[in-house]
Amino acid sequence: MIGYYISLALRSLRSTPILSALMVAAIAVGVGASMTVLTLNYMMSQNALEHKDDVLFAVQLDSWDVNKAYDNANEIPWQLTYKDAQALLRSDIPTHQVAMHRYGFTVELEDSAIRPYTADIRVTTRDFFSLFDVPFIYGGTWEKTADGSPMQVVVLSKATNEKLFSGENSVGKTVVLNSQPFTVIGVIDTWEPSPKIYDVNNSSFAEVESLFVPFGLHRKLEIYSWGNTNGWDSGEEGEGYEGFLQSESVWIQFWVELSDSEQKAGYESFLTAYIQGQKDQGRFERPLKFALSKPSEWLVLNEVLSDDNRVLGWVSLAFLLVCVINAVALLLAKFLRKAPEAGVRRALGASRNAIFTQHLIESSTIGILGGIAGILLAFMGISGIRYLAMGQLDTVARIDWVMVAAAIGLALIASLLAGLYPAWRISRTNPSIYLKTQ
Amino acid sequence: MLKMHNVRKSFRTDTIETHALRDFSLEVKEGEFVSVTGPSGSGKTTFLNIAGLLETPTGGQYLLDSEDVSNLNDRQRSRLRNEKIGFIFQGFNLIPDLNLFDNIDVPLRYRGFNAKERRKRIEKVLEQVGLSARAKHLPAQLSGGQQQRVAIARALAGEPRFLLADEPTGNLDSLMARQVMELLEFINEWGTTIVMVTHDPELARRAHRNIQIVDGQVCDLRTLTEQPEAATA
Amino acid sequence: MLELQPMLSALWRNKVPALLISLQLALTLAIISNIVIIIQERIEKIGRPTGIAVEEIIAINVMAIPQDYDMIGAISADMDLLRKLPLVKDATVTNQVPLSQSGSAGTFYTQPNQKVGGENSNRYNTDPNFINTLGLKLVAGRNFTNTEMQYYDPSEIRDVNVAVITQQFAENIYPGQDPIGKPLYDGDSHPIEIIGVVERHLGAWVDWSKAGNVAFFPIARNTQDINYLVRAEPGKRDEVLKTLVEKLSERDPQRVIKTRILSEYVARSYAGDNLMVKVLSIVAATLSFIVALGIVGLTIFWINQRAKQIGVKRALGATRSNISRYFLVENSLIAVTGIALGSAAALIVNQYMVRDYSQPVLTLVPLSICALLVLVVSLTAALAPALRAANISPATATRSV
Ligand SMILES: Nc1ncnc2c1ncn2[C@@H]1O[C@H](COP(=O)(O)OP(=O)(O)O)[C@@H](O)[C@H]1O
Ligand SMILES: [Mg+2]
Repeated sequence: MIGYYISLALRSLRSTPILSALMVAAIAVGVGASMTVLTLNYMMSQNALEHKDDVLFAVQLDSWDVNKAYDNANEIPWQLTYKDAQALLRSDIPTHQVAMHRYGFTVELEDSAIRPYTADIRVTTRDFFSLFDVPFIYGGTWEKTADGSPMQVVVLSKATNEKLFSGENSVGKTVVLNSQPFTVIGVIDTWEPSPKIYDVNNSSFAEVESLFVPFGLHRKLEIYSWGNTNGWDSGEEGEGYEGFLQSESVWIQFWVELSDSEQKAGYESFLTAYIQGQKDQGRFERPLKFALSKPSEWLVLNEVLSDDNRVLGWVSLAFLLVCVINAVALLLAKFLRKAPEAGVRRALGASRNAIFTQHLIESSTIGILGGIAGILLAFMGISGIRYLAMGQLDTVARIDWVMVAAAIGLALIASLLAGLYPAWRISRTNPSIYLKTQ
Repeated sequence: MLKMHNVRKSFRTDTIETHALRDFSLEVKEGEFVSVTGPSGSGKTTFLNIAGLLETPTGGQYLLDSEDVSNLNDRQRSRLRNEKIGFIFQGFNLIPDLNLFDNIDVPLRYRGFNAKERRKRIEKVLEQVGLSARAKHLPAQLSGGQQQRVAIARALAGEPRFLLADEPTGNLDSLMARQVMELLEFINEWGTTIVMVTHDPELARRAHRNIQIVDGQVCDLRTLTEQPEAATA
Repeated sequence: MLELQPMLSALWRNKVPALLISLQLALTLAIISNIVIIIQERIEKIGRPTGIAVEEIIAINVMAIPQDYDMIGAISADMDLLRKLPLVKDATVTNQVPLSQSGSAGTFYTQPNQKVGGENSNRYNTDPNFINTLGLKLVAGRNFTNTEMQYYDPSEIRDVNVAVITQQFAENIYPGQDPIGKPLYDGDSHPIEIIGVVERHLGAWVDWSKAGNVAFFPIARNTQDINYLVRAEPGKRDEVLKTLVEKLSERDPQRVIKTRILSEYVARSYAGDNLMVKVLSIVAATLSFIVALGIVGLTIFWINQRAKQIGVKRALGATRSNISRYFLVENSLIAVTGIALGSAAALIVNQYMVRDYSQPVLTLVPLSICALLVLVVSLTAALAPALRAANISPATATRSV
């Protein structure tokens, strides 16, 4: 029977090619537009640390100006001061903890034809790789002493290792950063969290840094941040680089791994005690406040999915709704025009269900065609967005299989919804009125 | 075969209630050829629609083959319609997009016959109505009389025991009307019960029995042939 | 004449299709009116005057390779070199690239040691050539001089004595006063004298709420990397760009040099807004188109269904224009219903847009314009089928359908 319905649907679609094309186009455009935008929003809402969402926390401390709260959603600075980061690192409560920031070096190799170039660097404590589950191909992270005293060692990204050492095991070799020799101690595998969850302060969709160096190098190399450095107490700053390190400027990002609620409670009381202690020394003049945010909460707090993205999401859904209503109207028109035929079929023994199924299959056919065309449109839409964003959204503007399946599903649901009422309506009409002599 | 007792049908529109049938009682025996006459608007079509299970009565009892069909659901009614009943309309009601073969195929599809069985039956009925050569034509390519013969073929394809015809000759000239009538008589001789609404007194007389509907009721019964037993009201 | 009563009852019998069209028009109006104000806002934002000669400027980033590089010496030598290049109008050194979304800011006060109630401003550390290089217009006071320049290490604390600021910043920090000679404080007791005012400059960030508040200081610091801006003669930018890296590397190979034209920075900074404008425009256009097609389809269907009636009316003496007018009036009735619903929906949706997504407020003027637009789209879509209906022959009446 289904075969019969399908052949009827195809025959019916072919008998009104323009109307059919119109309906397929309406569904395709609706699905294409919403898939384009929803794909983008879906990719932007990805949480690369989902599997550790319950144990990882971004740390914020309210060390800000007593006269004015920090200007963000939870009114706590995104980053920590250097001295607070150093103090927190002394805690042995967290399973892992990371203090870090973005930086840049010039990169060259001794006796090499490779021209010197500038590269993004992450200056971090050794736990970065274990806390964020970064896989290594060769070697591993540095020793703990490197987080406190200067050791010129470096971990390379896979791409950098390809570029400098053609992908060989480069552990033990030397890379020259800002004319200082650094020894390679590890190479990480491909690792591209997007959004760049561990650092959403500096463009959330940027690429991962290409080199990683220890946190103990600051004083030796007078390292400043290449990310945001925000201050409020410009008057108090002391002389020299040490003055900068001891200042109230915030520029260090801090994450901890706390494996269970007990550990978390312990860490919270540690933070409370620390802030109290600082208050006694005249710092932290604002009301005692800190925050531990899970990765999922951190993404929301940082508005990684911007208002504009949300607006586009709603617009595209409303757009799809209009397309569906459009398809409902056209299908209704089409089905009602064929009502006499349905009446004859009823008289010849077709049940209401048979009529309903026949027409629903016709609308699903439109949905499938619309869905397929919609996916093609979505691919075009996505590349259009990559072009318009000038490369700034390349890591998120792509379609994966989940989204392809979702697009087909969406198209089917849309057209089934669109076909439901007209098919029901036609199956309900009294056949006798169409059989009357005119 | 068919037995209606005190069947009522009323149509309610926003302002008035029309009683199309009131206390309508009738019995049709297996193998009978009954003609139905009456003024326009008297309820003839309504009677046929109810008899053919296209509409449900507002009240009363309707037995088809001794089975009470007043309370069947849509699926059961569709099944009965498909297996036992054939329809012929004044307006032919062929599906314009389908050729003759596919038009006749429609009820057989709903019956669930396999392709071979369907082909066999379609070819047989087309032969019976003398249109075998035109199986691939569209309805629009036929004359009115030919179209009505296709409609009859379509009604016969499922081998119904009960044929309902609503003014089957109303749109035809007298020659064609006679041809259609002869076809119906032929079908009746092979055992199919026929109820035919007509305005043509000559055709009405050719049936075994004529009933008159006036104002939604059977008004007068006259036995036209020597049927052993006249139906009772 | 207008047969409004029979028209309404005919519509009532076809209420579902009619309602579906109204609903589409309503949603379209709700969407489009909210889209239009967003587009309008973004276009205005992108079109704001930058105050500088964007098309003639090249930005250069110089990063020293050695750890103890003498950046200050390099700056003087590079500036000499750049300013002498053919087709180069001028060059300057700066801590940030204009309109690049990356830069430095500070809070400034009118009183010494003031801690609250300051005004935020973007801050440039640059040299006296910035006015000419950026193409700024000095509207009051004077530029700073070479002797006022301070060169020092980033870890050093030095008091800066003079500043040039934008008119907008001047009006915000000294409303209604002549800013020349007035002091700026950055939280301590040392006054910075405002010596000049430039007409306007947006600064480093295009999205910042204080964009346009800019202060320029005569400072160059001995950092590992520094930015230069080069202004070419009009139309000669690309020619100048070709030789820059080579010339600078030739002078001193101990650095990594990157160049990019300023217009590309600007395009990147506005890419998000540009994307919104493009995507929303496409949505608005396709939406109108789809709805129009839907109306065409449905009107044709209706007319086909009523072909016989139309024939009868014609046979009974209705003129062609009577028939077309009937369908157009019918369409207007549907459209007006949709517009009423849509206006209400647009205003409700807009409240959420303003509250939750910080989008602009929808006022009556754009709403009315969009409503009119929707009406025009609807009537245009109905026009062709309505005219075709008028061509239905009165003879149709005598033929059975
Ligand atoms: N669907 C309907 N709605 C309202 N009234 C109807 C409907 N169908 C038939 N009628 C009314 O029922 C009466 C009988 O109609 P019908 O059976 O078609 O008459 P006939 O076929 O004898 O001309 C008429 O008065 C007609 O107006
Ligand atoms: Mg009748």
